[in-house]
Amino acid sequence: MPSPDLREQLELIRAIQPAVHAPQNWNYENTGPMYKAYMHPPHDVGGQFDVPIYYEEKEEEQWELNTYVSCEVLGWRGVWTAEERRRRADNDLGYTLYLGMPYYARWIWAAAKMLVDKKHISLAELQEKIAEVKSRYEKK
Amino acid sequence: MKKNKASDKTGALFKVGDKVRVRDMPYMFYTRSQMYTRGVVGTIAALTYKDLIAEEEAFNFDGRVEQYYIVRFRQKDLWPGYPFDNDTLQTECPHRWLEPATN
Repeated sequence: MPSPDLREQLELIRAIQPAVHAPQNWNYENTGPMYKAYMHPPHDVGGQFDVPIYYEEKEEEQWELNTYVSCEVLGWRGVWTAEERRRRADNDLGYTLYLGMPYYARWIWAAAKMLVDKKHISLAELQEKIAEVKSRYEKK
Repeated sequence: MKKNKASDKTGALFKVGDKVRVRDMPYMFYTRSQMYTRGVVGTIAALTYKDLIAEEEAFNFDGRVEQYYIVRFRQKDLWPGYPFDNDTLQTECPHRWLEPATN
């Protein structure tokens, strides 16, 4: 039977696509200013317009601390540097994830991607492991 | 390099006519498995070839090969509200993304 989530997923994916959205792949020319805007790294936010943000005093959650420690340990072991972590977690992931994911989710996303890119783990292995852990929690 | 345990358990191959369900595994970084088939039951129409696991080859990871299949789905099973009973769609699925189905 059709997945009940499929329609919702397709709607969400449509919603997070960029507002400026060339139909198909037919935009063979970009103006200079538009090209510069596309090339702009997502984390360089200084001067951009935004709504006022509510300032909240909040302790880190356990998964955030675990993420922080995991990423630091990967640094101590020479698997990556802090600059590579920033490059991946603040830049390479792109606007949609940069603007949509929690701060430490970007860190763990970048760590996982780095471990796959550098062949410390295979993506197939990671997919299987996540599926296995997920099913273990669902059974509880 | 760490040995990849995940794809060691390749299991017995499916046969033409077997009912299979496309597994709902996590989407991240890369896959050729299509979202609209997730969780849907289809029928093995053909065994095509064995080839590298796409999620490993894409990262130049020295992976193993797996069997690929052509799986036939009823359009009514794929798309909510699809109006025609007899229409089918065939697409390619790798072994790891399939599990046996009974219905």
